[in-house]
Amino acid sequence: MVPNGAGLHQLGSWTVIGLLVLFYGGTLLMTFFIGRKNENADGYMTAGNKVGFGISAGSMTATWIWASSMYASATSGYTYGISGPIHYGLWGALMILFIYPFGKRIRAVAPKAHTLAEVMHARHGKSSQLMLAGSNIVGSLISITSNFIAGGALISLLSPFSFTQGILFMGGGILLYSLWSGFRASVLTDAVQVFALLGAVVIIIPVVFFAAGGPDMFVTGASKLTPQQSNFFSSEAFLNQGAPYIAAVLAYAIGNQTIAQRLFAVREDLIKKTFVTATVGYGATIIGVGMLGVMALYAGIAPLDGDSNNLIPQMAATYLGPVLLGVFLIMIVSALSSTADSDLSAMSSIVMADVYGQNIAKKGEANPKTMLFIGRITMIVATGAGLYFASGKLNILDLLVFVGALWGALVFPVIASFYWEKVTNKAFTVSVLVALACFLPVRFGWIALDGAAGIVVDVLSVIGIGVVLGLMAFGFFGLKIAKIVAAVAILAAAPFAIGFLHDYAVLSGSLVAYAVSTLVCYFMCFRNKANFDFASIKERIGDFDNREEANPEGSGSLLEEKA
Amino acid sequence: MSVFFLTLYVLVWPVIVFGVIYVLGKALWQEIREAKREGRPLI
Repeated sequence: MVPNGAGLHQLGSWTVIGLLVLFYGGTLLMTFFIGRKNENADGYMTAGNKVGFGISAGSMTATWIWASSMYASATSGYTYGISGPIHYGLWGALMILFIYPFGKRIRAVAPKAHTLAEVMHARHGKSSQLMLAGSNIVGSLISITSNFIAGGALISLLSPFSFTQGILFMGGGILLYSLWSGFRASVLTDAVQVFALLGAVVIIIPVVFFAAGGPDMFVTGASKLTPQQSNFFSSEAFLNQGAPYIAAVLAYAIGNQTIAQRLFAVREDLIKKTFVTATVGYGATIIGVGMLGVMALYAGIAPLDGDSNNLIPQMAATYLGPVLLGVFLIMIVSALSSTADSDLSAMSSIVMADVYGQNIAKKGEANPKTMLFIGRITMIVATGAGLYFASGKLNILDLLVFVGALWGALVFPVIASFYWEKVTNKAFTVSVLVALACFLPVRFGWIALDGAAGIVVDVLSVIGIGVVLGLMAFGFFGLKIAKIVAAVAILAAAPFAIGFLHDYAVLSGSLVAYAVSTLVCYFMCFRNKANFDFASIKERIGDFDNREEANPEGSGSLLEEKA
Repeated sequence: MSVFFLTLYVLVWPVIVFGVIYVLGKALWQEIREAKREGRPLI
């Protein structure tokens, strides 16, 4: 271990190579135990719909904890003070919690589905399916790019290797172990990676805390915080970090195929247990890591090169010895790999089921072997695209917040489609497009929001608050309670929000998207006389692969076949 | 917030994470044993 130019400690070349070979080599070996010569196409996408609690909860936790979320939580702690990590991690955790009641309904309606968009195809038709599938792919591509950037930045900061060398090594490692068995490899390796990830968090946070000065830090560093930063109920933290994330809770959950895939994979009676455990695991981990940002604030450490993404590696390189710095490297690599492999599986499933299975192959004639080939090609192309975008070092978190708000336009039409028989394909498509048309000018300030336009945006935002909280309540308590919650939220927020909310473009843009898509969808459907029979979805969605040689029960693993 | 509560606020998260590791580890171990006993693949 040697200090670099900035006085931070680095790991030696061979140490980094050894750790990465050990990590990716071990992960690849693990997938040999489950890999089959004839993979099943449905297993490649959902692992047979009966994954147990330990594997699915571990996988959901590891998938939702990604390297960028660790960096963002620490940035939030550094920027907004002691409440910052809560306003990042708590709402991120609730994204997992609030989707499970809807997940139970989706599984009941379509037990054999592979993607959420596939169910939309059975419910409505092509346009709503491809709209949802397209937004899922964009989200996963941004996510995988973000993880590559986080990995490259980490390698370039903690080792003599360059950013490009770092992303190539990680991209290659992730693709190698995910390619053959798809989602089955992803979910199993996640369940093991989660122990490396969580175990490192348990060790690193207390060690850095005491190395940085322990409780005395809160006395000596208190003067470095502004009154807002030292306030646990900071309004600045809530309005800039917390509120946009609360608005995005359902949007991320609906817009992310990695969650949907686990909803379809886990045994149906274990959905609640799995998602509640993952909520606690994600929340505690991300809030805990965010404390590194709070510690940096108290210790008076400024992010290297002014880039807050350097904050966590910087804290590690400042306060950890060589062994724990290696543990830290594995923690970040586990976080980014477990999410990136899930994104690869998500994108391959969408192209397999939604593009090929539903739109290219003739009805009932999808070839499972072709499907698997398409899935693997998708993974290779997605990895290449992720590496290409990562080399441009775009501001990914801004992009992700933008896409999260876009997903907000989809939330009501998607959820309503699973419960309300009157929703039509036309209403779904039009409501999403109109919501996007209203969202963009508000989000990017294309129109002046002073005067009447500002009031209109504020009124729509207040309706958006009612929609968000109403939908959250609906999942757990049903329609009657949801209507009461929505009405109370609108009446309570209106006096405070109307007149100033349009000053917060990210938040109001997102809320406008929710409100407009809900209003348009509702008014286009409520007089609709036609009723949809939800039982028909089960008949339209089933397994693609019924080949005898690809039967999961009847074939041994690659290692057994070799032996 | 007092120094005591700030310290507790920082250190409570690793304790919760440790609890999650225990729950996940126990469940995964049981699943591996069940799969072995029934002679079926883990996933």
